[in-house]
Amino acid sequence: MSDEITYEVDMNAEDVGATEHVPATVTQKSLTADCLRLISRPGWLWWTVFLFDLAILAVALVAERNQIVQGIGVAGHTRPVMWASYVTNFVFWVGIAHCGTLVSAILFLFRSHFRRAVYRVAEAMTVFGVMTAGLFPIIHLGRPWFAYWLFPYPHQRQLWPNFRSPLEWDVFAVSTYLTVSTIFFLVGIIPDAAAQRDHGSNRFYRLIGHIFSFGWTGANHQWKHFYGAYLYFAAFATPLVLSVHSVVSWDFAMAQVPGWHSTIFAPYFVAGAIFSGVALVINLLIPIRKAFKLEHIVTVDHIEKLSKLVLLTSTIVTYSYLVEIFSAWYGPNAHERDMFYWRFFGHFWWAGWTMVTCNSFIPILLWFKQVRRNLPLLFVLCLFVNVGMWFERFVIIVSSLARPFDPMPWGVNYKMSWTEAAILAGSFAWFFMFFLIFIRILPAFSLAEIKETLRAPMRRKA
Amino acid sequence: MITKLVDKLLAPAPQKHPGVMGVFEFVDDAAAAVTALRQVGHKDLSVYSPVPHHDIEHALGQGPSLVRWVTFGGATLGLTGGFALCIYSVMSYPLVVGGKELISLPPFVVIGYESMILLGALANLVGMLALARLPQLKSKAPYDRRFSEDKIGIWVPCTGEDAARVEKMLRGQGAEEVKVHA
Repeated sequence: MSDEITYEVDMNAEDVGATEHVPATVTQKSLTADCLRLISRPGWLWWTVFLFDLAILAVALVAERNQIVQGIGVAGHTRPVMWASYVTNFVFWVGIAHCGTLVSAILFLFRSHFRRAVYRVAEAMTVFGVMTAGLFPIIHLGRPWFAYWLFPYPHQRQLWPNFRSPLEWDVFAVSTYLTVSTIFFLVGIIPDAAAQRDHGSNRFYRLIGHIFSFGWTGANHQWKHFYGAYLYFAAFATPLVLSVHSVVSWDFAMAQVPGWHSTIFAPYFVAGAIFSGVALVINLLIPIRKAFKLEHIVTVDHIEKLSKLVLLTSTIVTYSYLVEIFSAWYGPNAHERDMFYWRFFGHFWWAGWTMVTCNSFIPILLWFKQVRRNLPLLFVLCLFVNVGMWFERFVIIVSSLARPFDPMPWGVNYKMSWTEAAILAGSFAWFFMFFLIFIRILPAFSLAEIKETLRAPMRRKA
Repeated sequence: MITKLVDKLLAPAPQKHPGVMGVFEFVDDAAAAVTALRQVGHKDLSVYSPVPHHDIEHALGQGPSLVRWVTFGGATLGLTGGFALCIYSVMSYPLVVGGKELISLPPFVVIGYESMILLGALANLVGMLALARLPQLKSKAPYDRRFSEDKIGIWVPCTGEDAARVEKMLRGQGAEEVKVHA
């Protein structure tokens, strides 16, 4: 019997060749140490960013308090533009949330191993993105204390929500999405939280690991049921993610407003959601891997693969823009034709051109490998994508509402108020507050899944 | 006070169950040990590892998880419950809107579909936790923190002479450390 130690590729077919994702120097032990390094006492940079974030959030809370006390009139909504920045923000944040489920569930089902290094960050983004999105319908109510009216509950007078309304579908879709994505996120963390419990740097972090690990020991029966269930979470999350943004798109497409009433909306919105979500994941991963020196775990190859997704979805979104414009031009509806002309040459022309420039023209650069692998340039490009995707929702919502069938209010155009601007900034602060806390208290990279991409230690026996 | 409480919570449980724990570095060694132990009649094994290994799963002869049936039950309940809620609500307060049918199934599909996913996912979670015996405060076997890092542990519940034989077997199969818990 030979005692020679070799690091053979596991017999498991899934692992064959998977080590291309991590350098050979990474071992199970070093990986645990590297990933848990994030979970430690934050330094001055983290505190500076966090306090700045809280300051913005405080301004937003003052603005929201002002809106509650003085009424929804302090927002810039003007008839006929009664859905404006708040609904834009809602759609934007739901869109941001989509990437996490794409990376964690859809790519899991497709066995795309590169997802393993990045999916936890994307999933966290999903959960915090939906938590941010969910605030906007409530903020937009003006009287947020009546938000429970949205949900069906037994009532003495047998009053129920209108289940034929796309807005009620939205309540079901978004609340289901929040629940399922949170469960998916927390279940995925269980084995990694156990590693945190066992190897955390101090008592406090070990306790957090203990709570989130549910007492996980990595026993064979636990892994069996864990992966048995994980497959079904992925199988549920995949149609869910496609349905959620489809339902959000039907908030518009079910109405007869020019520029909204289109069957292309569901796939168009889903592609747009993934487009903006993946761009934000890249924006988050680039500084994290740099700040915590994780370039060997989240490699340039991983980022490049994500940027290819941005490129793919950019082409789908651009195609959708062209189809919309073509349908308006070729179709019989004069209002529709007028709307699309107005979107690019009317009062909000700047928003229309910002959208096209950021979402269709700038991502053309991603066809070049040098751009995809140039991280500072990619970071800036992805920021443009997110600006563009916010404006896409703004264009769809505001320009369509400002140009209804009745020409009388055509001259009345929406102008964003300071209250809305503060709440928009606050939404980013709210999202980043959770994200900043998350990366310092729970494993932001999936130890267990990245370990699976390493070659399993084998002692070849003669 | 709180520190003591946290330490107590994090401390390993006092070992009550007799058995032998073997710690392995290599997957093929651990898989061979599992096969050998099962051949001599030790079917009640537990294998602890930082990641699941197919070699070990095959050696253990594990079937697929039963969680899928719980999930199926939850999803079916969600689908029927979603439709039932919509239908019940329009029947209990019959109000015709825009000349549409009271029971208009196409829009109810969205509610049924989302409810199916919601209850299916919740049932999946409950099923997984119940079958994996989670949450558990303390492990039955003498858990070692290296099992969440890079080592594989094989726990064989046994006593007396049997324990001595198992210890010898585990060492023979390449265990780098074996502990007997009497």
